[in-house]
Amino acid sequence: MRHIIYVFLATAVLMSACQKKVTDDIKPQDLLSSDVVFSTPQKIENAVLAGYDALQSPEFLSGRVLIYVDLLGEDIFDRTGYFTELPRFNLTSNSGIAYNVWTAGYFAIATANRNLAGIAANSSKLTTAKAKELTAECKFIRAVANFYLVNFFAQPYVYTADASHPGIPLITQGFTSNDPAANTPKSSVAAVYTAVITDLTDALADLPLEYTGTSNDAYHDKTRGTKASAASLLSRVYLYKGDYANAKKYASDVISGTYGAFSLNSTVDAAYTSNGGEYITDEGIWSIPNNVNDNPNTNNALPMHYYPTGRGDLAISPSYLSTTTNPYFAIDDKRRTLIITGTTSQTSSYKFTRKYTDITGRADWAPIIRYAEILLTYAEAQARLASGVDADAVAKLNLVRDRAKGLSPSYTVLSFANKDALIAAILGERRIELAFEGHRFWDIMRVKGTVTNKYDSDGTTILPAEPFGAKKNVFPIPQLEVDKSKGVLVQNDDY
Amino acid sequence: MRKFLTSLWCCLLLLSGELLAQTRTISGKVTDANGNPVPNASVIVKGTRVGTVTNTDGGYSLNIPPGAKTLVISSINLQTEEVKIGPANEYSLALKAMDASLDEVVVVGYNTIAKRSLTGSVSKVNGDVVANKPVTSFDQALTGKAAGVLVNTSSGLVGDDVIIRIRGGASISSGSSPLIVLDGVPITQGDQGQLYNHNNPLAELNPNDIESVEVLKDASAAAIYGSRGSAGVLLITTKKGKAGQSTLNYDNFFGFNEAARKMKVLNASDYITTVNKLRSNAGLSPGANYGDINSDGKLDTVNTDWQKELSRKGMVQNHNLALSGGSQRTTYFASLNYNDVQSYIENTEQKRGAVRLNIASRVTDWLQIGANTQFSRTQTSGLGSGTGNALSGIPFGPLTAMPNIPVYGADGKYYAGLGGNLATGYNVPNPEAVTHLNYDNRDGRRFIGSAFGEAQLIRGLKFKSQVNVDYATGLTDQFWNPDIGDGLGFGLKQKVYNERNTWSWYNTLNYNRQIGADHELNALAGTEYTRRTSSYTYTYGAGIKDPDLLLISADNYDEVGGENGIDGIDDGLASYFGSINYGFKKKYLATFNFRADADSRFGPKNRWGYFPSGSIAWRVTQEDFMSQFSFVNDLKLRASYGVTGNSDIGYFPAISTYKPASYADIGVLTMANPGNSNLRWERHKTFDIGIDAVIFKNTSFTIEYYNRKTIDLILDNPVLATLGFPGNIIKDNVGEMRSRGVELTVNTAVIHTRDFQWNVNFNTAWNNTKVIATNANNDQVFDKDPAATFSLAKPGYNLGVFYLVRWSRVNPANGFPIFLDVNGNEKQYNMNNRTWSFVKDGTNTTAIGAADRVVLKDKSPYPKFYGGLSQTFNYRAFDANIDLQYAFGFYLYNQTKQTIMNYGNTRNKSEDILGAWTKAGDNTDVPVLYWNSNLWSTQASSRWLERADFVRIRNVQIGYTLPRSITDKFKASKLRFYVQANNLYTFTGYSGIDPESNSIGNTNIGLGIDRTRPYLARSYTVGLNFGL
Repeated sequence: MRHIIYVFLATAVLMSACQKKVTDDIKPQDLLSSDVVFSTPQKIENAVLAGYDALQSPEFLSGRVLIYVDLLGEDIFDRTGYFTELPRFNLTSNSGIAYNVWTAGYFAIATANRNLAGIAANSSKLTTAKAKELTAECKFIRAVANFYLVNFFAQPYVYTADASHPGIPLITQGFTSNDPAANTPKSSVAAVYTAVITDLTDALADLPLEYTGTSNDAYHDKTRGTKASAASLLSRVYLYKGDYANAKKYASDVISGTYGAFSLNSTVDAAYTSNGGEYITDEGIWSIPNNVNDNPNTNNALPMHYYPTGRGDLAISPSYLSTTTNPYFAIDDKRRTLIITGTTSQTSSYKFTRKYTDITGRADWAPIIRYAEILLTYAEAQARLASGVDADAVAKLNLVRDRAKGLSPSYTVLSFANKDALIAAILGERRIELAFEGHRFWDIMRVKGTVTNKYDSDGTTILPAEPFGAKKNVFPIPQLEVDKSKGVLVQNDDY
Repeated sequence: MRKFLTSLWCCLLLLSGELLAQTRTISGKVTDANGNPVPNASVIVKGTRVGTVTNTDGGYSLNIPPGAKTLVISSINLQTEEVKIGPANEYSLALKAMDASLDEVVVVGYNTIAKRSLTGSVSKVNGDVVANKPVTSFDQALTGKAAGVLVNTSSGLVGDDVIIRIRGGASISSGSSPLIVLDGVPITQGDQGQLYNHNNPLAELNPNDIESVEVLKDASAAAIYGSRGSAGVLLITTKKGKAGQSTLNYDNFFGFNEAARKMKVLNASDYITTVNKLRSNAGLSPGANYGDINSDGKLDTVNTDWQKELSRKGMVQNHNLALSGGSQRTTYFASLNYNDVQSYIENTEQKRGAVRLNIASRVTDWLQIGANTQFSRTQTSGLGSGTGNALSGIPFGPLTAMPNIPVYGADGKYYAGLGGNLATGYNVPNPEAVTHLNYDNRDGRRFIGSAFGEAQLIRGLKFKSQVNVDYATGLTDQFWNPDIGDGLGFGLKQKVYNERNTWSWYNTLNYNRQIGADHELNALAGTEYTRRTSSYTYTYGAGIKDPDLLLISADNYDEVGGENGIDGIDDGLASYFGSINYGFKKKYLATFNFRADADSRFGPKNRWGYFPSGSIAWRVTQEDFMSQFSFVNDLKLRASYGVTGNSDIGYFPAISTYKPASYADIGVLTMANPGNSNLRWERHKTFDIGIDAVIFKNTSFTIEYYNRKTIDLILDNPVLATLGFPGNIIKDNVGEMRSRGVELTVNTAVIHTRDFQWNVNFNTAWNNTKVIATNANNDQVFDKDPAATFSLAKPGYNLGVFYLVRWSRVNPANGFPIFLDVNGNEKQYNMNNRTWSFVKDGTNTTAIGAADRVVLKDKSPYPKFYGGLSQTFNYRAFDANIDLQYAFGFYLYNQTKQTIMNYGNTRNKSEDILGAWTKAGDNTDVPVLYWNSNLWSTQASSRWLERADFVRIRNVQIGYTLPRSITDKFKASKLRFYVQANNLYTFTGYSGIDPESNSIGNTNIGLGIDRTRPYLARSYTVGLNFGL
């Protein structure tokens, strides 16, 4: 009998060990439990960097977002109908395009928010300086996402005098569970811009001039938030807001070298072609990097959509090529060398850009802020602030134009009849210089312009003019989200 | 004297009577229902120990004592018969098989129980149903064999998914596949494919080893498996040796298989006409013409039937050698199997070699030990270019390749040009080339084994301990050639080695006792620990330098790389369970089961799940009042209620996790899963009520009703994007489903004479699975697979109900396609000016799009009625059987047809396109040919939704068994020859690949999408069964 008891006791001990082995002892080997993510400085930094990875989403800054802004404008047309009704301003409320942009943007914001909370709760594990720097990076990321989202899903800042019209929900909390607080109504566009400006201003204070101690500092400088990228983005935000004094101020700080040395490359294509599509030249301020292993893949990458041997969906529109409809684009402008003719039987009758060419590796970076933009922003703000034709504005315009111009002479103050002519030239230059980099439609809208000479997917039919203020200039709030919000989130007009 | 004489006479009389009785010998022959002799049957005079056993011919001879009145004749697996002894001296009889009886024993989890004592819902399928069938895995042979068990073979590609659903879908976001337990070992199932092909791991089992498959359907039966029981349980028992019966069996079959169907696409001449018509109607130049293939300056009239080029008569063969026997102490079963199925698709094949050894030994009176083991190696040759919508896959390639270009060019090499055609939207590499030059092969090895010891502690109390292992590995070896197809220009070699390992250990105490005459008690208590792990190692080389050297090395490739990791499974389960069966006077029966499971994947506080079930049964025929209804041989009413769980919930669903990711060159840590520390078990509450009856001695039937409610669904809850969770999903216990239905099984001997027997087995099931609720908003939930958004889960509708834009018709006036918008208004698309307008008044309007989708009520991929009808016939030495399978009341989305009805590319088209509208007044459902109508011809709509009802002749077999007189000459016990046709013909109105087509795999919502997966195979085989 005693033996039987021993046997059962031994079995019980063994069973209890077994129970532990098949339950408590099992932890994921390829995932980190969230409570250890903020346990060391290196892990915290890696978590913060995930915010950039979120911005790099194929549906967001590393691909689609830039395309949408250009496709709403008149410089390109959707040769294959890939983007369905988007170029016709006719998305439906359950559009996948709108849903994906919304989702990607809020994922970046949520990542930044969760990291802000994680840094705050674990600040003892970081030096004060590092905590500040990482906090600044999170705010930079959050500002970028909010800025792009508010421009897609709400009317431009200048739509109402005080920008009191509906914007997007402002999310500042880092959610880790299905928290009802995420169901927030839209804030006004003014409130969103204020939040973006606050974040960027905070970021500007604490972001580094340049990164040190990484495996490739130059790479980090061009792809993470820096003082220069925060200031540059601030100048764009103020420009969109119509606050030209501030737009000029921040552009000026970048140009004067306060945040590091930036300059235009000597040729028009070096920014895109150097280092195999990595924008590490002095012309690049902030870009979203891609590489052969991590890129938006065959259906979303910029080269796939833009380059004729890729998908080649996006052909350059006749209205961009023509000197009638694009009057500042001289026939001998060197930027025309960035335009090529399609090489396949399907594309040979169309023109394409060669800003993004890496079909095999799809490693082309996405240019978000180039120095040329800062020069043109400064020129425009300065021109608008001055009373007459401003020489400083003309000088900055010339910096961009002279690199590309053919035989025509440089501008002088005398080239322009009045201030408006100068502004028109600057805007015209901006269209040419920043083409296919995600600026065009918003540059028209912020000055209350109208999209004209926009081509349908056949490349011959001209679509109706799309005026400033048209309801469908903005994307629909994804209907799924409107439904899920149970009325808290209000659908945009006319959707 | 007279008195003496009288006495003497009396004595003589008595003596003679005595003598007469003592010398009486009776004899006879015992056969089974098919007329085969039954050896080793016991023949006993009732109430005595006088008896004998039959010889190999089934014959016996027995001296019977005086007063013997009844013979009892019995044999294993046959019904015991009693025969009255009359004046005759010969008593031959046929013993009926146990099947039609309630006396057989069924396996119910960790225990066995007499079927008459069963209170739950269990269907039993005998092993002969799955043996010797030309199928690639045994699960396919279960099709239509058990009521309520839906077995769906996704396609004819070897290794493709076989979906098993017991009583409809069991969940929305979690799994719905039954647990499969082989001799107590929970085995790995589900797709194991690593690259471009699927792999069904059940193909690694030898079907001929299977003694029986028990299907536990209701909560009473399945609750003993607790958290794993919600979708039902398949218990597979392999063959075991029997004491005193040594047998050696050799079974084989040979044959071939071919495609069971063929969708018709255009021949070269129709293709050219159609493509050019499409283009000319749109004002475009011609897009198709014959080309000058051999460069002789003349156009070559080529007509290639690509489907035919890629098809063949694939050889199938199977050899199975089984040795079985044993002494009173030790029994064994050993088998050796080789199975080779060459698919009808060129270059695809599955070969399996399997060995099994089952051994059990009674070491002492109180201790038995044993082991059941199998090892198999399964080599699968798959398509390197995949299936589905892969441009070079099968059948996409052969369906869409231009028919006016040749397989080979003038140089004898694979033709890679376009002939005289334009390449618009055409990117199909030569399908014959990629099928032969590319491959995706898998070499799988699998060991499944268990070892047990069972000790009788005291009378009626047994302790059993069993350890189990299922260890499966696969080496996938894939190649894309650098000359044509997917690998064009670089060439790619990939290798994946993956492992799945499950070990478990269970212990049971089983107390079995008859108390007095009236009480029967069987109690079981047990523990079980289960651990599942997985891993993979992946390497690749791209940019091949010398294609004849294929090992991945940095020297031979421009780029090499790889990684390793966990392959989605890493969990453990601790379980404690108990079961009580009680019977009173064999009349009133009750069962209570309980299981507590702790799963590592839940947070500590919600880890434990408790799964009770109870059931009662009343054997009405044991009541005295039933004696007047003598035609009712057995009648049992039963009811059960219980709770089960669903453990098919994925990889660490509850804990909040981060994973490494990249920001191009910069490594980051990003959220993988927000987790949900409150996540707890999904629970399924099932009520089941049934009647089991045997009437007129030879007809048994079971009818039952069930209602299964699933609550606390572990749903991939679609949440607000502003929360910022990956995929906008968080796992939550929200939502509810209801699955209910009626099942009927009838087994009957229609004709049963000495020479001719006709048995019928019919089963049918009606099922309805409805989503009651999802989350707090009752949001609609789509399949996880983004390619499966034609259907959804929506509260108030059947699971997987289709959600599509409604197709209306083709306008007979102009040939334009007409759809219905969300409000039911007809909108037509004018191809000439590319505008949409209302049909009723011609005013322009917005395009039809995703916003016009509506839920198509009652149109789901789950059949309303399904089942099977099996008939067996025996006439003297001949036997035949015919199995039908049927399913009614379900729909498929025919995306294959949609793909080959595209108006905007130069790929080949369906023959249906020849019926396109050409002139005013044409009534057709094919719009006018007009090039590049991307805007409508690729619009997913109900135009492609088809009712898929079908009746399939699943298997037909005719056999002839040589008479004993001949087989005796070479000392064999059995020699049977047979011919067999599998998947012979399908009656259906469905026009796609097959009414069972499924391209999404094992899912709940997105079933029923027919998207270019290969046709099912039809096989013809001849074979023999030989026994010693």
